[in-house]
Amino acid sequence: MSPTTMRPRSNAARDTAVTMRANARAARLWRGLVLAVCLIVAVGLVAVQLFLTGDAEIEPDRVIPAAFGAGDGLADYVVRRTNLPRGLVALLGGALFGISGALAQRLFGNPLATPDVIGISSGAGAGAMLVIAGFGATGLGVQGGAMLGALVVSLIVYGLSWRGGVQSYRLILIGIGVGACASAIITFVVTRLDDASTQRAMRWLIGSLNGTNERDVALLTCTLCVGVALVLWIRRGLGDLALGDELAAGLGVRVPVVRFAALLLATMLAAVVTSVTGPIAFVALVAGPIATRLLRVPDAPLAAGLVGAVLLCATDIAAQTMPLISPVPTGAITALFGAPVLIALLVRRKATV
Amino acid sequence: MSTSPTAPVSRVGTHRTHPLLRGGGFVALACLLACVAVAGLAIGARDIDPITVTHALLGKLPADDYNGLVVLTERLPRVALGLLVGACLGAAGTVMQAVTRNPLADPGILGVEAGAAAAVVIGIVIVGVHEPRGYFWFALAGAAVAATSVALISRATTTASREISLVIAGAAVAALLMSLVTLLTVRDEAVYSSLRSWSVGSLVGRGLVLGELLPFALVALGLAVTLGRSLDALALGDEVAAGLGVRVGPTRLWAAGVGVLLAATATAAVGPVAFVGLVGAHLARMLVGTEHRWVLPYSMLTGALLLCAADVAARLVPGHGELEVGIMTAVVGTPFFVALARRRGRGTA
Repeated sequence: MSPTTMRPRSNAARDTAVTMRANARAARLWRGLVLAVCLIVAVGLVAVQLFLTGDAEIEPDRVIPAAFGAGDGLADYVVRRTNLPRGLVALLGGALFGISGALAQRLFGNPLATPDVIGISSGAGAGAMLVIAGFGATGLGVQGGAMLGALVVSLIVYGLSWRGGVQSYRLILIGIGVGACASAIITFVVTRLDDASTQRAMRWLIGSLNGTNERDVALLTCTLCVGVALVLWIRRGLGDLALGDELAAGLGVRVPVVRFAALLLATMLAAVVTSVTGPIAFVALVAGPIATRLLRVPDAPLAAGLVGAVLLCATDIAAQTMPLISPVPTGAITALFGAPVLIALLVRRKATV
Repeated sequence: MSTSPTAPVSRVGTHRTHPLLRGGGFVALACLLACVAVAGLAIGARDIDPITVTHALLGKLPADDYNGLVVLTERLPRVALGLLVGACLGAAGTVMQAVTRNPLADPGILGVEAGAAAAVVIGIVIVGVHEPRGYFWFALAGAAVAATSVALISRATTTASREISLVIAGAAVAALLMSLVTLLTVRDEAVYSSLRSWSVGSLVGRGLVLGELLPFALVALGLAVTLGRSLDALALGDEVAAGLGVRVGPTRLWAAGVGVLLAATATAAVGPVAFVGLVGAHLARMLVGTEHRWVLPYSMLTGALLLCAADVAARLVPGHGELEVGIMTAVVGTPFFVALARRRGRGTA
C-alpha cells in the first residue's frame, strides 16, 4: 500500500483534467490558426484584386506604389480609384453578409433561414430601386430606401409566419414567396429606368461590384464597426437563447429584446450591403456553415463574417477572371456555387431532423 | 405531418358540386374569358372600342382600316397566345399538384420553367437555334432535367415536410439555372436586352410563335384531359390506388411527363411565368371540387383567364411602356402563395 497505489482515482482525474485543458488549448490554437489564415487569405485576395488591371495593362511593379497614392494618372485611376475600392467592398460586404447570415441562422435555429433566402436582401434591393426611380435618390437616400425595404419585408415575412410563434420552415416558405414578389418589383423598376444600362441593371437584378467607389468603402466600414460592436454586445444573450427561451429567461436574458435586436441587426447589415452591391445571393447562407465546419464550434457570427469576406473576394475575382465567361456580375457566380450548397444543406438535414 | 397528404388534394370524393352548377360554371367561366379576351383586343397603347373590335373580327371593316389591322395582326395573336399559354400553365399546375400531392406546386415555383428557360438560352447562345420550333425541344429537355433534379433533391430530404423541401429545392434549382442564363447572356448587350424581357415572361411581340407552338400545346392539353381518372386514383393514396388496379409508378411518371410537357410548351412560347399554375389550379378546385376529370378542364379555363387578365392589367399600369406579364403574375400570385404557405403546418408551430 504505497502512496502511489493509494491515489489512482485522483491521478486519473488529474489526467482527465490535463487532457481536457490540453484539448481546449489545442482547439483554441486551431481556431486562432484558422482565423489567422482566413484573414491572411482575405487580405491576399484584396491584393490580387489590385493587379486585375485588364486592358489598362499596368506593369506589376507600378501597382503597389499606385495603391498607396504614388501612381500616375492612369495607374492611380485604375488601381487606387477602381480596384482598391472594389476589393475593399468585396471584403467588407462579404463580412457583413456573413455576420448577418450567421445571426439569422442562429436566431431561427435553421441554416436555411438567411436574409438572402427569405427575401430580405431582395426587399432591400426593391426599396433601393423604388427610391432611385421614384425620388431620384442618390448616396445615403439609397441606403435609407434599402433599409426601409428590408425592414418592411422582414416584418411582413416574420409577421405572416407568426402563429403563436415562428416555425422556421414556415418562415422560409413565406420568405421565398415574398422574395419572389420583391424580385418582381426590382425587375419592374429596372426595365422602366430610362438609362437602364446593362451594368446598372445587373447590380440590382443579381448583384455586382462594378463601379463601387470610396464612398461605398467608407459606408461599409462604418457599418461593419457598428455591426461588430452590436454583435459583441448581444452575443451572450443570443448564446443563451440556444438553451431554449425559458431557460434563457431564467438566466436573466430578456428574450424578446434579444430576439428583436438580433433580427433587426441581421436585417440592417444585409440591407446596407445590398444597397451598395445589390442582392448578391447565398454568401450569407454559406458563410455560417463553412465557419462552423472550419472552427468546429456551433456558431460564431464574427468568424462567419471573415469567411464571408474571403468568399466574396474570391468570387469577385473569379467573376472577373474566369476563362470563357468573364467578366460577369459577381452575383451570378455566387448563385452558381451557392445554390448547390443550399441543396446540400437541405439534403444534409435528414441526418439531424 | 410529412405523411399526411395535403388537404385540398386528399379530399377526393368528399367535395363535389352539383353537375348542373358545374356545367353552368364552365359556361360562365368561358363567357368571362371571352370578355377578358375582348378587353385584351380593345385595350392597349391605342384603345379601340369593342364594337370596332367585333367588326374587325367579323371582317366587316375595310382591309386597310388601321384599327382593324392592329386588332387582327397585333392583338389577336397575342390574346390567342395568352389563352393557350394560360391554359397550359393552369393544367400544368393541376397535374403537378396532383403528382406531388403538394398544394404549393407550380411549374414556376418548382424550377421547371427556369429549366426550360435556361435550356432555350443555351440553345440560342451556344447551339445557335433561331426558330421557335427548335426552342421547344430545348425547353422540353431543360424542363425535364429541372423537374427530375427537384424531385430527386426533395426525395433525398425529410426536412420538416415534403412540400417545404420541394419548394426550397425548386427555389435553389431555379436560382442556379437563372444564374446560368445570366452567365450566358450578360456579355452580349444585344442578346441580353432581347432576352431580358423573355427571362421575365412576356407576351409582347410573341404572337408569331403561335403557329409553331400550337401543335405542341394542343397535344399537351389533349393528353392532360385524359389524365383525369389516373390523377383521381393517385389522389386516393398509393396503396388504395394500387388496390384499385392502378400501376402507381408508371401512372405517376406519365402524369409528371405530361405536366413537364405543358410547362415546357408554355415557357418556350413566352418565358417563365410564375404562379399562374398555382392559382389556376386552386381556383378550379374551389369552383368544382376535387375530381380531376373536372378540375383539369376548369384549370385550363382559369389559367387562361388569369394570364389574359394579368396581361390586360399589365397594359393599364401607368408609366411608359407596359409591364411584362410575368411581373404582374408574381405580384398578384405572391399573396395567394403566402396564404397557402401559412396554412401549412397549422398547429405545429
